[in-house]
Amino acid sequence: MGVLRVGLCPALTQEMIQLLRGIGIKTVVDLVSADLEEVSRKCSLSYKALVAVRRVLLVQFSSFPFNGADLYEELKTSTAILATGIASLDKLLDSGLYTGEVTEITGPPASGKTQVCLCTAASVAYSLGQSVLYIDSTGGLTASRLLQLLQARTEDEEEQKVFRVLPGDPKPCFQGLVGLSLPLLIGAGALQRIHVVRVFDIFQMLDAFQDLRGSISQQATNASGPVKIVVVDSVSAVVSPLLGGQHSEGLALMMQLARELKTLARELGIAVLVTNHVTRERESGKLRPALGRSWSFVPSTRVFLEAREGPGAPAGCRVASLTKSPRQPTGIQEVMEIGSCGTPEQNSSLEGSKS
Amino acid sequence: MQRDLGSYPLAPGVRVKLVSAGFQTAEELLELKPSELSREVGISKEEALETLQVIRRECPVDMSKYASVSISGKNCTALELLEQEHTQGYIITFCSALDNIMGGGIPLTKTTEICGAPGVGKTQLCMQLAVDVQIPECFGGVAGEAIFLDTEGSFMVDRVVDLATACVQHLHLIAGSHSEGEYQKALENFSLESILSHIYYFRCHNYTELLAQVHLLPDFLLEHSKVQLIVVDGIAFPFRHDFDDLSLRTRLLNGLAQQLISMANNHKLAVIWTNQMTTKIEKNQSLLVPALGESWGHAATIRLILHWDQKQRLATLHKSPSQKEATVLFDITAQGFRDVVPSPLSPPVEPSANPRKRSREAREEE
Repeated sequence: MGVLRVGLCPALTQEMIQLLRGIGIKTVVDLVSADLEEVSRKCSLSYKALVAVRRVLLVQFSSFPFNGADLYEELKTSTAILATGIASLDKLLDSGLYTGEVTEITGPPASGKTQVCLCTAASVAYSLGQSVLYIDSTGGLTASRLLQLLQARTEDEEEQKVFRVLPGDPKPCFQGLVGLSLPLLIGAGALQRIHVVRVFDIFQMLDAFQDLRGSISQQATNASGPVKIVVVDSVSAVVSPLLGGQHSEGLALMMQLARELKTLARELGIAVLVTNHVTRERESGKLRPALGRSWSFVPSTRVFLEAREGPGAPAGCRVASLTKSPRQPTGIQEVMEIGSCGTPEQNSSLEGSKS
Repeated sequence: MQRDLGSYPLAPGVRVKLVSAGFQTAEELLELKPSELSREVGISKEEALETLQVIRRECPVDMSKYASVSISGKNCTALELLEQEHTQGYIITFCSALDNIMGGGIPLTKTTEICGAPGVGKTQLCMQLAVDVQIPECFGGVAGEAIFLDTEGSFMVDRVVDLATACVQHLHLIAGSHSEGEYQKALENFSLESILSHIYYFRCHNYTELLAQVHLLPDFLLEHSKVQLIVVDGIAFPFRHDFDDLSLRTRLLNGLAQQLISMANNHKLAVIWTNQMTTKIEKNQSLLVPALGESWGHAATIRLILHWDQKQRLATLHKSPSQKEATVLFDITAQGFRDVVPSPLSPPVEPSANPRKRSREAREEE
């Protein structure tokens, strides 16, 4: 709802707008909430015309209530669950990342957040064959690690004679790849489905989301299909330079970003995975996710990763705990191995892998 | 474009006035001329012009642009990134064990943090890297220049002279053993004078100077396009004392980290900074942890912790996006940063046996 303009409805003419502005009604909200009898008296406009304009504006700008049953039906058909590729994490998330929702991974440095993001991107691009938009703000994305994860996956599936070059896949650019093994070539197809954008401040990140919306609304033929998951690593790297201090612009920008993420997830039917840092509470010394209480309402699911303490703990072993979830009880924990995320050695030790 | 005005980088005063005048999305502003906008909202003509420029730049009026470009120009697929990474070099440290655990050396386009107790060798490593970044490509280096931002005043030119001389001698030995002429040709430009003249040194006395210098670096990098390494020796020192407002410190540090990683990415160079250690007391025991707090731990992409184990120096790769956690021994000799058991190194770096094992056997022999 914004300023009253000529194009908003046919009966709204320029002179009507000028008359209304003369008595202080500038925006749609002002007109809709004003007492129309008084307005028609003050500007000498016909009451019927004003009522007609108001009706049209209300129809244009108001949202309609949904029947709960219809909403349920819609969600059943439009929600997809994307497996992250790490069986224990999928168990924690109730079989994976849900589209239409924002999921957050948080943890101290070197706890494996970037590895989880890479593993998810690899799994979605390879096993599910969908496009991934990876927004990197920390420089943690290394394509060779992605390739490693994909190769581990392809070697496993080669044994089961399953090839994942999907129809409609663009031919991978073979210039640098001649003479490589079959798993590497298949992995190359998946790598082309992962789109990487490097942003280092919040305005660049908002621009990237705008571009995503633009490309999807224009239905630009992105050869590998529509984006199904957006991975943002990390969101606190771009937001924390703005928070604190006396002015609240940083908070406003953070909430802009939050709103953008949630509406992207809901409107475009994609899953959003973000990573967040931790800070230490001053009094108790415990670790808690950064960006404060306002951000804690943004993701619908939160997972906390940390390294296993103790002398006998193997390197690469991490404990994931569920701290917020709309579906599972909080506090449940799973152990995961970040060195070989989701490959058969790990899957065989846990029952019921779903990918 | 239905994009909210709050997501544009406008001045706060202007944004407040726009919102109070009833404008909420960019679409509404696109149709106005600057004079109309300034009259309606109550801002000056220059501000109105600037605002419209910002908004028009972000959302192109010509919608058909989207048909050809799927996502913005900075977008690339992971496959293209992989090809870029294959051709990217590493800056070697002359300690082959350390280079191995890091996947070849200090990587370009990433930020690396080196933490350690006083005297363990952080500044030595920084000076060694400022020399090593200049090694010609045929010897396995990146043939770049270095920028050194010094906040502690621990940069000793005489020591750099020692390191550079040892490096030049080492490369001459290698060139001597190969008969191809290209090695000799490359070494003609690689002398003590050229090494020293390609290290750009800046001394920053407090955090304001450091922030200002980092702010001015992009312009410097445009003039000196061969720079491949930025070293900040002592990023912790100016921020650790005299800071009452801790939230300001966090904000400044995070902003600094983002500026550095954005420079590393845009100009394809490596950024290194050194951090101090502080004591954390928990559960009746004290630990040495890197300084500047928990939130600073997330700033660097790669974290290397140097520490002592009785008389030996160890380096632990604590955080890396693509390498496993590992610890190796290293030594600092008169020639600089080296492996523990001095052995003639020759590029390409050959996979060495675990130096730890060797030193243990050496000790058992004694």
